[in-house]
Amino acid sequence: MNVLKIAWRSIQHRGLGSLLTVISMALGVMMVVAVLTIHGVVSQSFKNNNSFGYNILVGARGGGLQLTLNTVYYLSKPVENIPYEYYLAFCDAETRQRELKHSIANIAREHEAQTLALATSGFANAGGLANILTTELTKASFSYQQDASTKIEQAGLYKRYTDIAVPICLGDYYVDEATGAAFRCVGTKPDFFDKLVLDVDTEEKFSFSEGRAFKEFGPDLGYYECVVGAVVAKRCGLKLGDVLQPTHGDPTSAGAHIHEQGFTIVGIIDRTGTPHDRAVFLNMEGFFLMEDHAKPVEDDSLLGVNNDDDSDEGYGTDEAQSDATAGSDSSDLQEPDPSLKRIPLPIEQREVTSILVRTSRDDPYGTLATFLPPQINQGDLETVLDWSPYRPERSQKAAQAVNPIEQITSLFQVFVDPIRWLLLGLTLLICIVSAISILVGIYNSMSQRTGEIAVMRALGAGRWKVMSIMLCESILLAVAGGVIGWFAGHTLNAALGPIVESRTGVSLGFFDFAPGIPLAYLMNGVSLPEGLARLSVSPELLIIPGLILVAVFVGIYPAITAYRTDVSKSLGK
Amino acid sequence: MLKLVDIKKTYTQPDGSSVPILDVPSFEMSAGEQVALIGPSGCGKTTLLHTIAGIIKPDSGTVTLDGVELTRYTEAARDRIRADKIGYVFQTFNLLPAFSALENVVLGMSFGKRPASKTRATELLDQVGLGHRVHNKPPAMSVGEQQRVAVARALANRPALLLADEPTANVDPANQRAIVQLIRDRCREENVALLMVTHSMEVADQFDRVDQLAELNRVVADARAAATSDENAEANA
Repeated sequence: MNVLKIAWRSIQHRGLGSLLTVISMALGVMMVVAVLTIHGVVSQSFKNNNSFGYNILVGARGGGLQLTLNTVYYLSKPVENIPYEYYLAFCDAETRQRELKHSIANIAREHEAQTLALATSGFANAGGLANILTTELTKASFSYQQDASTKIEQAGLYKRYTDIAVPICLGDYYVDEATGAAFRCVGTKPDFFDKLVLDVDTEEKFSFSEGRAFKEFGPDLGYYECVVGAVVAKRCGLKLGDVLQPTHGDPTSAGAHIHEQGFTIVGIIDRTGTPHDRAVFLNMEGFFLMEDHAKPVEDDSLLGVNNDDDSDEGYGTDEAQSDATAGSDSSDLQEPDPSLKRIPLPIEQREVTSILVRTSRDDPYGTLATFLPPQINQGDLETVLDWSPYRPERSQKAAQAVNPIEQITSLFQVFVDPIRWLLLGLTLLICIVSAISILVGIYNSMSQRTGEIAVMRALGAGRWKVMSIMLCESILLAVAGGVIGWFAGHTLNAALGPIVESRTGVSLGFFDFAPGIPLAYLMNGVSLPEGLARLSVSPELLIIPGLILVAVFVGIYPAITAYRTDVSKSLGK
Repeated sequence: MLKLVDIKKTYTQPDGSSVPILDVPSFEMSAGEQVALIGPSGCGKTTLLHTIAGIIKPDSGTVTLDGVELTRYTEAARDRIRADKIGYVFQTFNLLPAFSALENVVLGMSFGKRPASKTRATELLDQVGLGHRVHNKPPAMSVGEQQRVAVARALANRPALLLADEPTANVDPANQRAIVQLIRDRCREENVALLMVTHSMEVADQFDRVDQLAELNRVVADARAAATSDENAEANA
């Protein structure tokens, strides 16, 4: 019969006491495991999500952290919006020209140009003073157009520092009727999927388990395409072709209402393990056109006027038109579906929540990421707003630029890490109390067991043997508590997973472990071979060895008592 | 097989004074021999057994067991020798309550060189009439049954010498004889020498050789002499 079995029998003999000790230890370990894994997985996910291939967020002035949580993690209450032109400040001339055609100012300018053309043609035939007026009017017209062109048709203010700029609009939700679960709607451009990456190192981009990314304008669905994250699709049982109707505003607030306009799902994103899995991505052009999303302008006489040279009659492509009329004979021509009209919202009425900016890669030292935010924060972007007299004055102007990594690091340093240490401290206290209960349990049994120890000694067990039996008993209790606590901790994680996911967007399951700590960090100051230094050790792996050390520590006193047992005196007891 | 020469042992009292317990000039047993050692309570019987078993070391003198001079060795070495060569039956049985009868017997083989054998433990329990109670724990057994388990445990490691310290003190008179007979029979069959200390003449009468500790131990003899001289002095006065 070995030491282990003798110790185990003794534990069994003190059944209830042993059980309570193990439960108390298991509770402590469960809490430690839960805190380590939940904190670890969530913070790892936050840190991973910081590297989507952009390094600056531009949004409304206010809390930088709130902007980051909103934009990167789709968390927290929505922030204010900023003018769409701020996004254009990061675009090239071609994009700006294409986009700015859809502005009230541009439509007005074209109207004025037509009016001037009519006027000059009338004056031209009058001669004398009329000729002078004609010349001045022509100059004025040219001057206006030239002035506007220099502001709006050149590359954006920050284009030369920018590789990627993607705008996003937040504020709407998709609420699943069956489950009541609410998911953030993200209005964005196809660039979100084409240009952003999931992992900067591998350049891995979004992939789709089904379908494709939405287009800016499709022949069949116009502006109203969307794609959904993997979790949204699974939880709500969504499939390609389903139509979603976003809810305007926070669904829990009184003012929330469901938009009439629906978006058709054209793609389901592969699971990314990030908050994107829990988001619905709407085509931004369609998002702008939904009710309550356009900023009202004072002079709305020019609204709804198509000025898109790419379309006829205000509708989409020729294919779209032919599709719309297919199956109808000429005698039964129907009006094309109004949702297929290619009339985007004018620029002046647009707002975005934030702009994801990747500074130029020709910046190996990352100076642009530190150079740009101060410029934006001092109000430089506001200079791009005076191009159109139709811009609503009450629009939010003040913008800020933040580095999301700094924001998250700061969040962790100021709030999350101290809370984690506090929780770990508390749970470690539970473990210490449990360890002391092991000591008390074994020590209390010592008075009864002195006789047993003496008998074993009389049967030939050496002092070290009985000492090791005591230590083994302490270790068995601690390890049993540790193993049960470990499973309970991971079960707790699985149980808390949906709550953590709904609060943070991070998925957490039974098999999620606390992220590893680099061995080089643990062995601070000790030089390790390169292969070893790269290894990471999950703190969970240290729990059982740590408990064994604690068990030896608390078991040593009873063990020494056993070691010192006077056999001759104790045999008669 | 067992030879004691000039064994002396004194205990130091809390006030610092020394009290002699043992002063045994000579004691010998041959292999397989069965000896009853009788003496009144407090005459040093248990101390003598502990000394023979190597549990305590005498202040002087030698204990030689099966050709091995125990008193030359360290405590750890004496523990190992005891595990291999000595079996012990206690007055209070001292079975471990957490262990079944079988496990208690196996425990008797767990600290020596030979591997512990459940088969031998089962055989021994069978031989002491407890083949049907191998899985019972001591609290569920009668006093007589517990003592039988203790006998089986003491023989489990195939000792050269079995020391029995008043094994019938807690057994009812009806069972005393049976227990002693059982121990003697088992020792004879296993060719184990038996040294049983007792204060009961009825028990001692079952043995061929009965030694009086008072005759072996000079301390007891001196005390008796002193007591006798005190009585004479009182009578003369």
